[in-house]
Amino acid sequence: MKRHVAETDLALFASRDLSLWKRALVGMHVRGCGRCRELAEVYRSDRSELSDVTADLPEGLDWDRLSAEMTANIRVGLAAGECVAPRSRRIAALGWRPAAVIAGISVLMAAGWWLNMPPAQTQALGRAMRSIWRGRPALVDERGPMVAVSASGIELRENGSALGVSQGPARPIAVSVSAQGSASARYVDADTGQITITSVYVQ
Amino acid sequence: MSNRLAVLLLGAVLAADAQTLSRKIDLPKDSPVSLVSADWGESSATPRGGAYMVDVHAGLSLRNSSQRRIRGVTLSVLAQEVTPGGKGSVSVPSLDVAPGDTFPVRIDLPLLRPLGAGSGPLVEVQLDGVLFDDLSFYGPDKLHSRRTMTVWELEARRDRRYFKTLLEQAGREGLQKEMLESLARQADRPQPGVQMVRGRATNTDIEREVQFAFLRFPESPAEPTDGMARIAGNEARAPRLEVRNRSDREIRHLEIGWIVRDQQGRDFLAASLPADLNLAPGHSSQILQDAALRFPGRTSIEGMTGFVSSVEFADGSYWIPTRASLDDPQLRRVVAPSPEEQRLVQMYRRKGVDALIEELKKF
Repeated sequence: MKRHVAETDLALFASRDLSLWKRALVGMHVRGCGRCRELAEVYRSDRSELSDVTADLPEGLDWDRLSAEMTANIRVGLAAGECVAPRSRRIAALGWRPAAVIAGISVLMAAGWWLNMPPAQTQALGRAMRSIWRGRPALVDERGPMVAVSASGIELRENGSALGVSQGPARPIAVSVSAQGSASARYVDADTGQITITSVYVQ
Repeated sequence: MSNRLAVLLLGAVLAADAQTLSRKIDLPKDSPVSLVSADWGESSATPRGGAYMVDVHAGLSLRNSSQRRIRGVTLSVLAQEVTPGGKGSVSVPSLDVAPGDTFPVRIDLPLLRPLGAGSGPLVEVQLDGVLFDDLSFYGPDKLHSRRTMTVWELEARRDRRYFKTLLEQAGREGLQKEMLESLARQADRPQPGVQMVRGRATNTDIEREVQFAFLRFPESPAEPTDGMARIAGNEARAPRLEVRNRSDREIRHLEIGWIVRDQQGRDFLAASLPADLNLAPGHSSQILQDAALRFPGRTSIEGMTGFVSSVEFADGSYWIPTRASLDDPQLRRVVAPSPEEQRLVQMYRRKGVDALIEELKKF
Protein backbone atom coordinates (compact mmCIF):
# COMPACT_ATOMS: atom_id res chain seq x y z
CA MET A 1 0.00 0.00 0.00
CA LYS A 2 1.45 3.37 -1.05
CA ARG A 3 1.46 6.09 1.64
CA HIS A 4 0.54 9.66 0.65
CA VAL A 5 2.25 12.81 1.79
CA ALA A 6 0.54 14.72 4.63
CA GLU A 7 -1.57 17.65 3.49
CA THR A 8 0.35 20.14 5.60
CA ASP A 9 3.54 19.08 3.82
CA LEU A 10 1.82 19.40 0.46
CA ALA A 11 0.65 22.93 1.37
CA LEU A 12 4.17 23.88 2.37
CA PHE A 13 5.52 22.19 -0.80
CA ALA A 14 3.15 24.28 -2.87
CA SER A 15 4.35 27.49 -1.21
CA ARG A 16 8.03 26.37 -1.41
CA ASP A 17 8.38 26.58 2.36
CA LEU A 18 9.71 23.06 2.93
CA SER A 19 13.32 22.42 3.72
CA LEU A 20 15.54 21.45 0.79
CA TRP A 21 15.81 17.76 1.69
CA LYS A 22 12.12 17.36 2.48
CA ARG A 23 11.12 19.28 -0.64
CA ALA A 24 13.13 16.76 -2.78
CA LEU A 25 11.43 13.77 -1.10
CA VAL A 26 7.91 15.29 -1.46
CA GLY A 27 8.70 16.31 -5.06
CA MET A 28 9.69 12.69 -5.96
CA HIS A 29 6.46 11.42 -4.38
CA VAL A 30 4.28 14.02 -6.10
CA ARG A 31 5.75 13.14 -9.51
CA GLY A 32 4.70 9.51 -9.01
CA CYS A 33 1.37 10.04 -7.19
CA GLY A 34 -1.54 11.53 -9.06
CA ARG A 35 -3.63 12.28 -5.93
CA CYS A 36 -0.91 14.15 -4.18
CA ARG A 37 0.03 16.01 -7.38
CA GLU A 38 -3.59 17.07 -7.74
CA LEU A 39 -3.75 18.31 -4.12
CA ALA A 40 -0.49 20.18 -4.54
CA GLU A 41 -1.87 21.90 -7.60
CA VAL A 42 -4.99 22.88 -5.65
CA TYR A 43 -2.91 24.48 -2.92
CA ARG A 44 -0.80 26.25 -5.50
CA SER A 45 -3.83 27.73 -7.29
CA ASP A 46 -5.44 28.75 -3.92
CA ARG A 47 -2.33 30.56 -2.98
CA SER A 48 -2.23 32.37 -6.29
CA GLU A 49 -5.85 33.46 -5.93
CA LEU A 50 -5.33 34.67 -2.34
CA SER A 51 -2.35 36.66 -3.46
CA ASP A 52 -4.36 38.36 -6.17
CA VAL A 53 -7.19 39.19 -3.77
CA THR A 54 -4.95 40.70 -1.02
CA ALA A 55 -3.03 42.82 -3.54
CA ASP A 56 -5.90 45.31 -3.62
CA LEU A 57 -6.83 47.20 -0.31
CA PRO A 58 -10.50 47.43 0.60
CA GLU A 59 -12.22 50.62 -0.52
CA GLY A 60 -12.72 53.40 2.08
CA LEU A 61 -10.02 52.07 4.44
CA ASP A 62 -9.29 54.72 7.19
CA TRP A 63 -5.76 54.09 8.48
CA ASP A 64 -6.07 56.58 11.39
CA ARG A 65 -9.19 54.95 12.69
CA LEU A 66 -7.62 51.52 12.29
CA SER A 67 -4.58 52.70 14.28
CA ALA A 68 -6.79 54.12 17.04
CA GLU A 69 -8.76 50.92 17.26
CA MET A 70 -5.62 48.84 17.50
CA THR A 71 -4.21 51.09 20.29
CA ALA A 72 -7.51 50.90 22.17
CA ASN A 73 -7.55 47.14 21.86
CA ILE A 74 -4.02 46.89 23.22
CA ARG A 75 -4.92 49.06 26.24
CA VAL A 76 -8.08 47.08 26.89
CA GLY A 77 -6.01 43.94 26.78
CA LEU A 78 -3.48 45.28 29.29
CA ALA A 79 -6.22 46.49 31.64
CA ALA A 80 -7.90 43.16 31.51
CA GLY A 81 -4.61 41.45 32.27
CA GLU A 82 -4.12 43.68 35.36
CA CYS A 83 -7.60 42.73 36.60
CA VAL A 84 -7.10 39.04 36.16
CA ALA A 85 -3.60 38.72 37.62
CA PRO A 86 -2.38 41.83 39.47
CA ARG A 87 1.40 42.17 39.27
CA SER A 88 3.24 42.13 42.59
CA ARG A 89 6.42 44.23 43.02
CA ARG A 90 9.34 42.11 43.92
CA ILE A 91 11.56 43.62 46.65
CA ALA A 92 15.16 42.71 46.43
CA ALA A 93 15.99 40.79 49.59
CA LEU A 94 19.14 41.83 51.54
CA GLY A 95 21.39 39.06 52.65
CA TRP A 96 22.74 38.75 56.24
CA ARG A 97 26.30 39.69 55.28
CA PRO A 98 25.83 43.48 54.92
CA ALA A 99 23.96 43.53 58.25
CA ALA A 100 26.77 41.59 59.91
CA VAL A 101 29.41 43.98 58.51
CA ILE A 102 27.45 47.05 59.69
CA ALA A 103 26.97 45.50 63.13
CA GLY A 104 30.69 44.67 63.34
CA ILE A 105 31.73 48.21 62.41
CA SER A 106 29.28 49.62 64.97
CA VAL A 107 30.70 47.43 67.74
CA LEU A 108 34.25 48.41 66.73
CA MET A 109 33.43 52.13 66.78
CA ALA A 110 31.71 51.81 70.15
CA ALA A 111 34.73 49.92 71.56
CA GLY A 112 37.13 52.54 70.19
CA TRP A 113 35.05 55.35 71.71
CA TRP A 114 34.81 53.57 75.06
CA LEU A 115 38.55 52.87 75.20
CA ASN A 116 39.82 56.24 74.05
CA MET A 117 37.25 58.91 74.81
CA PRO A 118 37.21 60.35 78.34
CA PRO A 119 33.79 60.25 80.05
CA ALA A 120 33.75 64.04 80.35
CA GLN A 121 34.08 64.37 76.58
CA THR A 122 31.23 61.96 76.06
CA GLN A 123 29.15 63.94 78.52
CA ALA A 124 30.12 67.21 76.79
CA LEU A 125 29.04 65.74 73.46
CA GLY A 126 25.74 64.69 75.04
CA ARG A 127 25.23 68.19 76.41
CA ALA A 128 26.02 69.71 73.02
CA MET A 129 23.53 67.38 71.29
CA ARG A 130 20.86 68.22 73.86
CA SER A 131 21.47 71.95 73.44
CA ILE A 132 21.15 71.58 69.64
CA TRP A 133 17.94 69.60 70.10
CA ARG A 134 16.49 72.24 72.44
CA GLY A 135 17.81 75.14 70.35
CA ARG A 136 19.55 76.78 73.34
CA PRO A 137 23.24 77.63 73.73
CA ALA A 138 25.33 75.29 75.88
CA LEU A 139 26.81 76.45 79.18
CA VAL A 140 30.46 77.42 79.28
CA ASP A 141 32.47 74.25 79.74
CA GLU A 142 35.99 73.42 80.92
CA ARG A 143 38.54 73.15 78.18
CA GLY A 144 42.30 72.96 78.18
CA PRO A 145 44.55 71.56 80.84
CA MET A 146 44.10 72.37 84.50
CA VAL A 147 46.29 71.67 87.51
CA ALA A 148 44.82 70.66 90.80
CA VAL A 149 46.54 70.28 94.16
CA SER A 150 45.33 68.56 97.28
CA ALA A 151 46.81 66.84 100.30
CA SER A 152 47.48 63.82 98.07
CA GLY A 153 49.54 65.74 95.49
CA ILE A 154 49.26 67.30 92.03
CA GLU A 155 46.87 66.25 89.33
CA LEU A 156 46.95 67.28 85.69
CA ARG A 157 43.50 67.32 84.08
CA GLU A 158 42.68 67.51 80.39
CA ASN A 159 39.20 67.02 78.91
CA GLY A 160 38.06 65.05 81.92
CA SER A 161 41.11 62.76 82.02
CA ALA A 162 43.29 63.10 85.08
CA LEU A 163 46.84 62.03 85.79
CA GLY A 164 48.33 62.44 89.24
CA VAL A 165 51.86 62.73 90.57
CA SER A 166 52.74 60.05 93.03
CA GLN A 167 55.98 58.84 94.56
CA GLY A 168 54.81 55.42 95.55
CA PRO A 169 53.04 55.46 98.89
CA ALA A 170 54.65 58.78 99.90
CA ARG A 171 52.39 61.79 100.35
CA PRO A 172 53.67 65.31 99.69
CA ILE A 173 54.75 67.33 102.69
CA ALA A 174 53.53 70.51 100.94
CA VAL A 175 51.74 71.51 97.75
CA SER A 176 51.40 74.92 96.14
CA VAL A 177 49.88 76.65 93.13
CA SER A 178 51.35 79.56 91.19
CA ALA A 179 48.92 81.84 89.41
CA GLN A 180 51.39 81.99 86.52
CA GLY A 181 50.30 78.47 85.63
CA SER A 182 52.07 75.80 87.63
CA ALA A 183 51.54 73.50 90.57
CA SER A 184 54.20 71.99 92.81
CA ALA A 185 54.39 69.16 95.29
CA ARG A 186 57.18 68.71 97.82
CA TYR A 187 58.27 65.20 98.80
CA VAL A 188 60.82 63.93 101.28
CA ASP A 189 62.66 60.67 100.69
CA ALA A 190 62.12 58.34 103.64
CA ASP A 191 65.64 56.86 103.40
CA THR A 192 67.89 59.77 102.50
CA GLY A 193 65.78 62.68 103.78
CA GLN A 194 66.31 64.40 100.42
CA ILE A 195 63.64 66.93 99.42
CA THR A 196 62.30 66.74 95.84
CA ILE A 197 59.97 69.39 94.44
CA THR A 198 57.95 68.34 91.41
CA SER A 199 56.18 70.96 89.26
CA VAL A 200 53.77 70.79 86.34
CA TYR A 201 53.16 73.78 84.06
CA VAL A 202 49.97 74.52 82.15
CA GLN A 203 51.28 77.81 80.74
CA MET B 1 36.61 37.79 55.46
CA SER B 2 34.66 40.54 57.20
CA ASN B 3 35.06 38.70 60.52
CA ARG B 4 38.86 38.65 60.13
CA LEU B 5 38.86 42.38 59.33
CA ALA B 6 36.79 43.14 62.43
CA VAL B 7 39.16 41.15 64.66
CA LEU B 8 42.19 42.94 63.17
CA LEU B 9 40.61 46.37 63.64
CA LEU B 10 39.57 45.56 67.22
CA GLY B 11 43.12 44.42 67.91
CA ALA B 12 44.44 47.68 66.53
CA VAL B 13 42.11 49.68 68.80
CA LEU B 14 43.26 47.70 71.86
CA ALA B 15 46.93 47.91 70.89
CA ALA B 16 46.66 51.70 70.60
CA ASP B 17 46.44 51.88 74.41
CA ALA B 18 49.94 50.50 74.92
CA GLN B 19 52.59 52.85 73.54
CA THR B 20 56.35 52.65 73.76
CA LEU B 21 57.77 55.78 75.36
CA SER B 22 60.97 57.16 73.83
CA ARG B 23 63.32 58.70 76.41
CA LYS B 24 66.19 61.14 76.15
CA ILE B 25 68.47 62.81 78.70
CA ASP B 26 70.21 65.87 77.35
CA LEU B 27 72.98 67.43 79.44
CA PRO B 28 75.26 70.14 77.96
CA LYS B 29 78.89 69.23 77.31
CA ASP B 30 80.11 71.74 79.90
CA SER B 31 77.46 70.74 82.42
CA PRO B 32 78.60 70.75 86.06
CA VAL B 33 76.64 67.51 86.55
CA SER B 34 77.04 64.29 84.57
CA LEU B 35 74.76 61.30 84.27
CA VAL B 36 75.91 58.17 86.11
CA SER B 37 72.83 56.01 85.57
CA ALA B 38 69.15 56.21 84.65
CA ASP B 39 66.31 53.86 85.48
CA TRP B 40 63.07 54.63 83.65
CA GLY B 41 60.99 52.16 85.66
CA GLU B 42 57.34 52.06 84.68
CA SER B 43 57.17 55.18 82.52
CA SER B 44 54.36 54.92 80.00
CA ALA B 45 52.21 56.87 77.54
CA THR B 46 48.48 56.32 77.07
CA PRO B 47 46.43 57.98 74.32
CA ARG B 48 43.43 59.84 75.73
CA GLY B 49 41.32 61.95 73.38
CA GLY B 50 43.67 64.05 71.28
CA ALA B 51 46.76 63.64 73.47
CA TYR B 52 49.05 61.15 75.13
CA MET B 53 48.94 61.13 78.92
CA VAL B 54 52.64 60.57 79.62
CA ASP B 55 53.40 59.14 83.05
CA VAL B 56 57.11 59.57 83.79
CA HIS B 57 58.76 57.58 86.58
CA ALA B 58 62.55 57.66 86.55
CA GLY B 59 65.43 57.51 88.94
CA LEU B 60 68.63 59.29 87.88
CA SER B 61 72.03 59.30 89.49
CA LEU B 62 74.07 62.45 88.81
CA ARG B 63 77.69 63.32 89.64
CA ASN B 64 78.97 66.75 90.60
CA SER B 65 81.67 67.18 87.94
CA SER B 66 82.37 70.80 88.89
CA GLN B 67 84.85 72.17 91.44
CA ARG B 68 82.19 73.76 93.66
CA ARG B 69 79.63 72.39 96.09
CA ILE B 70 76.14 72.09 94.65
CA ARG B 71 73.21 73.44 96.67
CA GLY B 72 70.38 72.75 94.23
CA VAL B 73 69.51 71.27 90.85
CA THR B 74 66.49 71.69 88.58
CA LEU B 75 65.74 69.39 85.65
CA SER B 76 63.08 70.19 83.08
CA VAL B 77 61.05 67.23 81.84
CA LEU B 78 59.43 67.82 78.46
CA ALA B 79 56.83 65.83 76.59
CA GLN B 80 56.03 68.82 74.36
CA GLU B 81 57.47 72.19 75.36
CA VAL B 82 54.85 74.47 73.78
CA THR B 83 51.79 72.46 74.78
CA PRO B 84 50.03 73.40 78.03
CA GLY B 85 50.64 70.49 80.37
CA GLY B 86 53.54 69.21 78.26
CA LYS B 87 56.23 70.56 80.56
CA GLY B 88 57.27 69.72 84.09
CA SER B 89 60.28 70.07 86.33
CA VAL B 90 61.97 68.38 89.24
CA SER B 91 64.01 70.40 91.71
CA VAL B 92 66.21 69.16 94.49
CA PRO B 93 66.95 71.97 96.98
CA SER B 94 68.92 71.84 100.24
CA LEU B 95 71.69 69.75 98.73
CA ASP B 96 75.31 69.81 99.82
CA VAL B 97 77.11 67.79 97.14
CA ALA B 98 80.90 67.96 97.14
CA PRO B 99 82.89 67.84 93.86
CA GLY B 100 82.99 64.28 92.50
CA ASP B 101 80.14 63.07 94.71
CA THR B 102 76.98 61.51 93.26
CA PHE B 103 73.38 62.22 94.27
CA PRO B 104 70.00 60.79 93.23
CA VAL B 105 67.17 62.64 91.49
CA ARG B 106 63.72 61.07 91.49
CA ILE B 107 61.32 62.04 88.63
CA ASP B 108 57.59 61.35 88.98
CA LEU B 109 55.54 63.51 86.64
CA PRO B 110 52.34 63.45 84.61
CA LEU B 111 52.61 65.24 81.25
CA LEU B 112 50.59 65.77 78.08
CA ARG B 113 51.76 65.33 74.50
CA PRO B 114 49.52 65.95 71.45
CA LEU B 115 48.94 62.80 69.37
CA GLY B 116 50.17 64.52 66.22
CA ALA B 117 53.41 65.83 67.70
CA GLY B 118 56.33 63.99 66.15
CA SER B 119 56.50 60.28 65.56
CA GLY B 120 55.29 59.07 68.96
CA PRO B 121 55.36 59.64 72.69
CA LEU B 122 58.68 61.12 73.77
CA VAL B 123 59.99 62.48 77.04
CA GLU B 124 63.15 64.53 77.25
CA VAL B 125 65.04 65.48 80.41
CA GLN B 126 67.18 68.61 80.27
CA LEU B 127 69.22 70.52 82.80
CA ASP B 128 67.56 73.84 83.66
CA GLY B 129 69.95 74.97 86.33
CA VAL B 130 72.49 74.22 89.04
CA LEU B 131 72.94 76.46 92.08
CA PHE B 132 76.32 76.46 93.84
CA ASP B 133 77.22 77.28 97.44
CA ASP B 134 78.45 80.76 96.43
CA LEU B 135 74.97 81.41 94.90
CA SER B 136 76.43 81.33 91.40
CA PHE B 137 74.32 79.57 88.82
CA TYR B 138 74.75 77.43 85.71
CA GLY B 139 72.05 76.60 83.18
CA PRO B 140 69.64 77.93 80.56
CA ASP B 141 67.15 78.95 83.31
CA LYS B 142 64.11 78.55 81.04
CA LEU B 143 61.95 77.75 84.08
CA HIS B 144 63.37 80.61 86.20
CA SER B 145 64.96 78.02 88.45
CA ARG B 146 67.76 80.43 89.37
CA ARG B 147 65.30 82.64 91.22
CA THR B 148 63.43 79.76 92.82
CA MET B 149 66.52 77.89 93.97
CA THR B 150 68.20 81.07 95.22
CA VAL B 151 65.15 81.89 97.37
CA TRP B 152 65.16 78.31 98.73
CA GLU B 153 68.86 78.57 99.55
CA LEU B 154 68.38 81.95 101.27
CA GLU B 155 65.51 80.48 103.28
CA ALA B 156 67.73 77.49 104.13
CA ARG B 157 70.51 79.76 105.41
CA ARG B 158 68.01 81.82 107.41
CA ASP B 159 66.46 78.75 109.02
CA ARG B 160 69.78 77.02 109.78
CA ARG B 161 71.00 80.23 111.38
CA TYR B 162 67.81 80.41 113.43
CA PHE B 163 68.13 76.81 114.66
CA LYS B 164 71.82 77.23 115.43
CA THR B 165 71.06 80.36 117.44
CA LEU B 166 68.27 78.50 119.21
CA LEU B 167 70.66 75.65 120.01
CA GLU B 168 73.18 78.08 121.45
CA GLN B 169 70.58 79.94 123.51
CA ALA B 170 68.12 77.21 124.54
CA GLY B 171 70.23 74.07 124.18
CA ARG B 172 69.15 70.62 123.04
CA GLU B 173 65.79 70.89 124.80
CA GLY B 174 64.98 74.19 123.12
CA LEU B 175 65.86 72.76 119.72
CA GLN B 176 63.82 69.63 120.41
CA LYS B 177 60.82 71.70 121.47
CA GLU B 178 61.04 73.80 118.30
CA MET B 179 61.24 70.67 116.13
CA LEU B 180 58.18 69.17 117.79
CA GLU B 181 56.24 72.41 117.35
CA SER B 182 57.23 72.52 113.69
CA LEU B 183 56.05 68.92 113.25
CA ALA B 184 52.73 69.77 114.91
CA ARG B 185 52.25 72.87 112.72
CA GLN B 186 52.94 70.85 109.56
CA ALA B 187 50.45 68.20 110.63
CA ASP B 188 47.76 70.83 111.38
CA ARG B 189 48.34 73.02 108.33
CA PRO B 190 45.15 73.02 106.24
CA GLN B 191 45.56 71.95 102.63
CA PRO B 192 42.21 71.99 100.85
CA GLY B 193 42.13 71.14 97.16
CA VAL B 194 42.67 73.98 94.69
CA GLN B 195 42.23 73.81 90.92
CA MET B 196 43.95 76.41 88.78
CA VAL B 197 43.27 77.26 85.16
CA ARG B 198 44.78 80.10 83.18
CA GLY B 199 42.58 82.68 81.47
CA ARG B 200 39.19 80.98 81.76
CA ALA B 201 36.27 81.29 84.11
CA THR B 202 33.92 78.34 84.14
CA ASN B 203 31.44 79.48 86.77
CA THR B 204 28.12 80.94 85.67
CA ASP B 205 27.25 82.42 89.10
CA ILE B 206 27.02 86.18 89.56
CA GLU B 207 30.45 87.71 90.27
CA ARG B 208 31.34 90.10 93.06
CA GLU B 209 34.56 91.95 93.82
CA VAL B 210 36.32 91.17 97.10
CA GLN B 211 39.10 93.39 98.48
CA PHE B 212 42.42 92.03 99.74
CA ALA B 213 43.61 92.69 103.27
CA PHE B 214 47.41 92.76 103.68
CA LEU B 215 49.99 91.52 106.14
CA ARG B 216 52.72 94.15 106.11
CA PHE B 217 56.28 93.33 107.14
CA PRO B 218 58.21 96.33 108.46
CA GLU B 219 61.40 95.36 106.64
CA SER B 220 59.73 94.44 103.32
CA PRO B 221 61.04 96.46 100.34
CA ALA B 222 57.64 96.24 98.60
CA GLU B 223 54.32 97.23 100.11
CA PRO B 224 50.96 96.11 98.74
CA THR B 225 48.55 99.03 98.93
CA ASP B 226 45.37 97.84 97.26
CA GLY B 227 43.95 94.71 95.66
CA MET B 228 40.82 92.86 94.66
CA ALA B 229 39.70 89.68 92.90
CA ARG B 230 36.44 88.60 91.26
CA ILE B 231 34.58 85.95 93.22
CA ALA B 232 31.75 83.76 91.94
CA GLY B 233 30.61 80.86 94.09
CA ASN B 234 33.64 78.72 94.88
CA GLU B 235 35.81 80.39 92.25
CA ALA B 236 38.20 83.37 92.49
CA ARG B 237 39.72 84.88 89.38
CA ALA B 238 41.60 87.80 87.90
CA PRO B 239 43.42 89.06 91.02
CA ARG B 240 44.64 92.64 90.72
CA LEU B 241 47.06 94.21 93.21
CA GLU B 242 48.84 97.52 93.62
CA VAL B 243 52.37 97.45 95.06
CA ARG B 244 54.79 100.23 95.93
CA ASN B 245 58.55 99.98 96.00
CA ARG B 246 59.67 101.52 99.27
CA SER B 247 63.30 100.47 98.95
CA ASP B 248 66.14 102.40 97.31
CA ARG B 249 66.71 99.70 94.64
CA GLU B 250 64.80 98.80 91.52
CA ILE B 251 62.59 95.70 91.91
CA ARG B 252 62.65 93.18 89.06
CA HIS B 253 60.35 90.48 90.42
CA LEU B 254 58.21 89.84 93.46
CA GLU B 255 55.90 87.19 94.72
CA ILE B 256 52.77 87.64 96.82
CA GLY B 257 51.13 84.93 98.90
CA TRP B 258 47.35 84.72 98.50
CA ILE B 259 45.47 83.53 101.61
CA VAL B 260 41.75 82.76 101.34
CA ARG B 261 39.22 82.58 104.23
CA ASP B 262 36.17 80.38 103.78
CA GLN B 263 32.66 80.71 105.26
CA GLN B 264 33.74 78.83 108.41
CA GLY B 265 36.56 81.25 109.10
CA ARG B 266 39.32 78.84 108.08
CA ASP B 267 42.37 80.31 106.36
CA PHE B 268 44.50 78.51 103.80
CA LEU B 269 47.21 79.47 101.34
CA ALA B 270 45.47 79.32 97.97
CA ALA B 271 48.25 80.34 95.57
CA SER B 272 51.24 82.54 94.99
CA LEU B 273 51.07 85.52 92.66
CA PRO B 274 54.44 86.05 90.95
CA ALA B 275 54.99 89.19 88.92
CA ASP B 276 57.81 90.46 86.70
CA LEU B 277 58.23 94.20 87.16
CA ASN B 278 60.56 97.10 86.56
CA LEU B 279 59.61 99.01 89.65
CA ALA B 280 61.80 101.99 90.43
CA PRO B 281 62.30 103.16 94.03
CA GLY B 282 59.24 105.03 95.35
CA HIS B 283 57.05 104.01 92.41
CA SER B 284 53.92 101.88 92.33
CA SER B 285 52.81 99.25 89.87
CA GLN B 286 49.82 97.03 89.25
CA ILE B 287 49.98 93.24 89.23
CA LEU B 288 47.39 91.42 87.14
CA GLN B 289 47.02 87.67 86.78
CA ASP B 290 44.73 86.10 84.22
CA ALA B 291 44.08 83.01 86.31
CA ALA B 292 41.13 81.37 88.01
CA LEU B 293 41.24 79.33 91.22
CA ARG B 294 38.46 76.94 92.11
CA PHE B 295 37.96 75.52 95.58
CA PRO B 296 36.13 72.37 96.61
CA GLY B 297 32.36 71.96 96.44
CA ARG B 298 30.47 74.41 98.64
CA THR B 299 33.42 76.56 99.67
CA SER B 300 32.40 80.19 99.83
CA ILE B 301 35.17 82.77 99.75
CA GLU B 302 34.58 85.33 102.50
CA GLY B 303 37.92 87.10 102.67
CA MET B 304 41.41 87.33 101.16
CA THR B 305 44.78 88.33 102.56
CA GLY B 306 48.02 89.04 100.70
CA PHE B 307 51.64 89.26 101.85
CA VAL B 308 54.95 89.76 100.05
CA SER B 309 56.84 86.48 100.19
CA SER B 310 59.96 87.34 98.14
CA VAL B 311 61.52 90.17 96.15
CA GLU B 312 64.25 90.11 93.51
CA PHE B 313 66.09 93.36 92.85
CA ALA B 314 67.46 94.47 89.50
CA ASP B 315 71.02 94.05 90.83
CA GLY B 316 70.41 90.31 91.31
CA SER B 317 70.02 90.39 95.09
CA TYR B 318 66.98 89.09 96.96
CA TRP B 319 64.81 89.79 99.96
CA ILE B 320 62.87 87.17 101.92
CA PRO B 321 60.84 87.61 105.13
CA THR B 322 62.64 87.09 108.44
CA ARG B 323 61.67 84.35 110.86
CA ALA B 324 60.24 87.09 113.11
CA SER B 325 57.94 88.30 110.31
CA LEU B 326 56.77 84.76 109.60
CA ASP B 327 55.93 84.36 113.28
CA ASP B 328 52.60 86.08 112.64
CA PRO B 329 49.87 83.71 113.96
CA GLN B 330 47.93 83.74 110.69
CA LEU B 331 51.03 83.01 108.60
CA ARG B 332 52.30 80.30 110.94
CA ARG B 333 49.04 78.39 110.46
CA VAL B 334 48.94 78.48 106.67
CA VAL B 335 52.43 78.97 105.19
CA ALA B 336 54.54 75.86 104.64
CA PRO B 337 58.01 75.91 106.21
CA SER B 338 61.04 76.17 103.95
CA PRO B 339 62.32 72.99 102.27
CA GLU B 340 65.35 73.14 104.56
CA GLU B 341 63.25 73.32 107.73
CA GLN B 342 61.24 70.35 106.48
CA ARG B 343 64.46 68.44 105.76
CA LEU B 344 65.84 69.18 109.24
CA VAL B 345 62.56 68.28 110.93
CA GLN B 346 62.47 64.96 109.03
CA MET B 347 66.08 64.31 110.06
CA TYR B 348 65.16 64.96 113.70
CA ARG B 349 62.15 62.65 113.41
CA ARG B 350 64.16 59.79 111.86
CA LYS B 351 67.58 60.13 113.52
CA GLY B 352 67.08 62.19 116.64
CA VAL B 353 68.41 65.43 118.02
CA ASP B 354 72.09 64.47 117.98
CA ALA B 355 72.06 63.86 114.22
CA LEU B 356 70.30 67.20 113.78
CA ILE B 357 72.94 69.03 115.84
CA GLU B 358 75.70 67.40 113.78
CA GLU B 359 73.94 68.50 110.58
CA LEU B 360 73.66 72.10 111.80
CA LYS B 361 77.38 72.14 112.60
CA LYS B 362 78.25 71.34 108.98
CA PHE B 363 77.33 74.81 107.78
